[in-house]
Parts: sequence; C-alpha cells; structure tokens
Amino acid sequence: MAVIDFEFRNSIIQHKEHLGKTLAYCYQCATCSGVCPVAQVTKGRYNPRKLILNSLLGLKDNLLLGAENNFNIWGCQVCDTCDEMCPQNVELTEVFVLLKNMSVKEGQAPDYYTTQAKFIQEHGKAIPLAPAIERRRDQMNLPKAPKVDKKEVQTLLKETGLEDIIGPVEKKEEAK
Amino acid sequence: MTDYNLFPGCVIPNRLPYLEDSARKTFEKLGIKTHDAPFNCCPDPVGFQSVHHKSWMALSARNLTIAEQDGRSIVSICNGCTQTLKMVNEELKHDDDAKEEMNAILKKIGREFKGSVEVKHFVQVLIEDVGVEKIAEQVTNPFTGMKVACHTGCHYSRPSSVMQWDDPMAPKFLRQLVEATGATAVDYDEEVLCCGAGVGNVEEEPAMHILKQKMDSAIAAGADCFVVVCPACFQQLDNNQRTLKKYFEKDYNIPILYLTELLALAFGHKYEELSLKLHRARPQALLEKYNAV
Repeated sequence: MAVIDFEFRNSIIQHKEHLGKTLAYCYQCATCSGVCPVAQVTKGRYNPRKLILNSLLGLKDNLLLGAENNFNIWGCQVCDTCDEMCPQNVELTEVFVLLKNMSVKEGQAPDYYTTQAKFIQEHGKAIPLAPAIERRRDQMNLPKAPKVDKKEVQTLLKETGLEDIIGPVEKKEEAK
Repeated sequence: MTDYNLFPGCVIPNRLPYLEDSARKTFEKLGIKTHDAPFNCCPDPVGFQSVHHKSWMALSARNLTIAEQDGRSIVSICNGCTQTLKMVNEELKHDDDAKEEMNAILKKIGREFKGSVEVKHFVQVLIEDVGVEKIAEQVTNPFTGMKVACHTGCHYSRPSSVMQWDDPMAPKFLRQLVEATGATAVDYDEEVLCCGAGVGNVEEEPAMHILKQKMDSAIAAGADCFVVVCPACFQQLDNNQRTLKKYFEKDYNIPILYLTELLALAFGHKYEELSLKLHRARPQALLEKYNAV
C-alpha cells in the first residue's frame, strides 16, 4: 500500500509558487483523462487525473516507481492537451516534468530518456551527423552543418548539475 | 522582410535532409532570408526536459544567446525546437528571477541572455512575412482536387499561454497554406490528435493505437495524403505505416508530405529533385496525377 510522504508532497507543491497553487484547484473532474490520447488507449495504465491526485496527497510510490504494468508518469508525452483543456488551469505537464525529473534521479527513467540525454551531453546534439547522411547532404548541395562547440556545451551542463544525475561524459578509448 | 537565423534542429539535418532541402528551396523562392549558426540541440521538450529541466533551459538559453549575438530572430522548421526555444525565451524574458539564475550559469561560458530576439515556427513566418495570397501567386503547378489531411502536431501551438500562435485546438493557418496550392484541406475528426511519437519512446503499442486512430479518421474523410510541419510527426506517420500492419493486419499506404515539400512542388520543383523517393510511403503515384513527377 502506498504511504503518504510529506516531504515528497511538499517538494512538489512548494517547488514553484504557482505550481502548488494551480494543483490545489484540481477538483478531479477527469477532463484531462478524457482528452489524453495515451489514457484513451492504455486501459487505465496511464491516468493523468490520478497522477494529480497522488501528487496532491504525496503518494510517492504511485508516481515515481515503475510498478508492474503501469506507466506512472512516463506515459505522458508532453502533448499539452490536458493543460489546454483543464477548466481549472492546472499546469499538469509542468507537474509531470517535475515528477519525471525526480524519477530520473531515482534511476527509474525509461532507457530512451537517459540515452538521449547522454548523447546531447557528449555531442551537443540529440542526433549526431552520420557519414552516410553527410554524403547525402553533399549530393543535395546542402551547406555543411556549423560545428557545435561541444566543450562549451559540456561546461554548461556541468554547471547545471546534469553530471550528478546521469554521470560524466564517458571517456572513449583513444583511436589507434 | 526580416533576416532569420535558421534553426534546423537535430532530426531534419541529420536524418531527413530532404526536408531541409525543401525548406531552403521554399524560403528562397519566397524571399525569406536565412543564416546558419552553430546551435546545439534545442533540446527536445519531450526527452531532455523530462530528464533535467534546468539543463534543458540552459542549453536552450545558449541557443538564444547565439541568435542574439547575430541580432537575428530564429525561424525553426521543427515543432519541438520551436516549443523549447519559445518557452525558454518567454520565461526568461518575463521572469527576472529565472533570468538571473540562468545568467549566473551562462556566465561560466561567457554568455548572457538579453531577451532581444523572437522565436517563430516557419508556418508563422510564411503567414506573417509572406502571406497566403503572395504564396498562391507563386504557384505554377497547382494541386487542384488533391485532398489533404492537415496535421499540425502538438508543439506547434500548445501550450497556447506561451506559444500564442494559431488556435491550439482548431488550427487554421496550415489549412490556409495548403489551400494556397489549390489543394483542399479535408475536415477529419482527429485533426488535433497527437501523432503518438512521444509515448512510442516508452512503449510501441499505445503509439500505434493513436496513429491508427489518426490515419483511419483521415482516410475515412477521403484524404489523399497528410501534410505535416514537424519532423517527429513526419517520422511517426511515414515510418510506422508498416508497423501498423504488424499490429492490425491492415495495409496503410498514404503519402506524408512536409508543408515545404508541397509548396516546393507547387512552385514547380519535381519529385526527383526533392528526393521524394526517400519517403517510406512513396508519394510518386499521387504526384504523377498532378504533374509533379
């Protein structure tokens, strides 16, 4: 059974002033679940209304941990439909982003998310340019993509604390 | 007409360069002047923001400072990039505490966010800087009779409180641009439904159910093709028609065109020239009917 975690509850509702305020206005009308494209096709495995209720109550285990056959917050695809339709202007997506950030810290994120973050940390881009695509770009007479200053990107991400969450850039063995 | 810094993102230049090619051809034809700049990843509002919000803001702010240095606003050819850059730009412009915190971080790399540029989706630039009538005047190869399912995608105009562009639940500007080519934008029930790519990062099946819902609705309305304005939506709609067959034992073969591909074709560019054979759902048969091959 899920247990109320007051510290966790406060970390959500006090995260930013407006976030706690908007959460408190939720009257559980379920408009969000009704318009959520993922909720419509997952037979109760993803339900934004319940996630908001669990956030208000501080039921941490119902939110962050990857319970069997349950997406928890990771079913949210940031389509912003629920925010748009919520009659109380609850900023659901912003709450879910915060919860996802917490889930990542607890090592509960799906692989896609951490893999992409590591790519961005290493290359400055989510998708680095592959030689085959580079040749294709030449054939199309497309200009060379300007080089990203990776060192600057990595310095910046060290400063924001990303390294503490996903680790430092992995050192590759020197090419022989 | 303003000069812009072009923000091509990661997916288009590094995976779908033919979309970039069509965008550059369209912009050139319409006199939209763009410049390249050494931007980093926008970064992805679905992926990277969910991992670490502060890092997401910082990388986005770095991009904005590059545009500020050049003194040019940004035109983005991707929904995700537009949303990230615009959300961070607006937050830092309007929240002094957030700006102060971010500038303390940016100082370590010798940068400062000033708030002197705008971020625009290319649909906004086409509508505001060029206009539907002027675009219609440039059409030499009209698509009269072609029925198009318009799909703007989520991050094009949501959340509306920040994006402040078009109607978030009944978008109209993409329809106007499509109709400028002579084509007809069909009404279909699931026009504002998400493409499903986001949840596909975690689990394939729900993403396919959403995609099927979208496709069936457009096909029932008589659509000959989809027109999209986001590379994530493009990939979901174009790459995954084969995956749909795996789940639902039903053949899907409906061409997906980027808006800039449709415009470039309407301006007289041809199938081969725009590398349209690289699409998974081949648009050749459809485009032959409109003398575009």
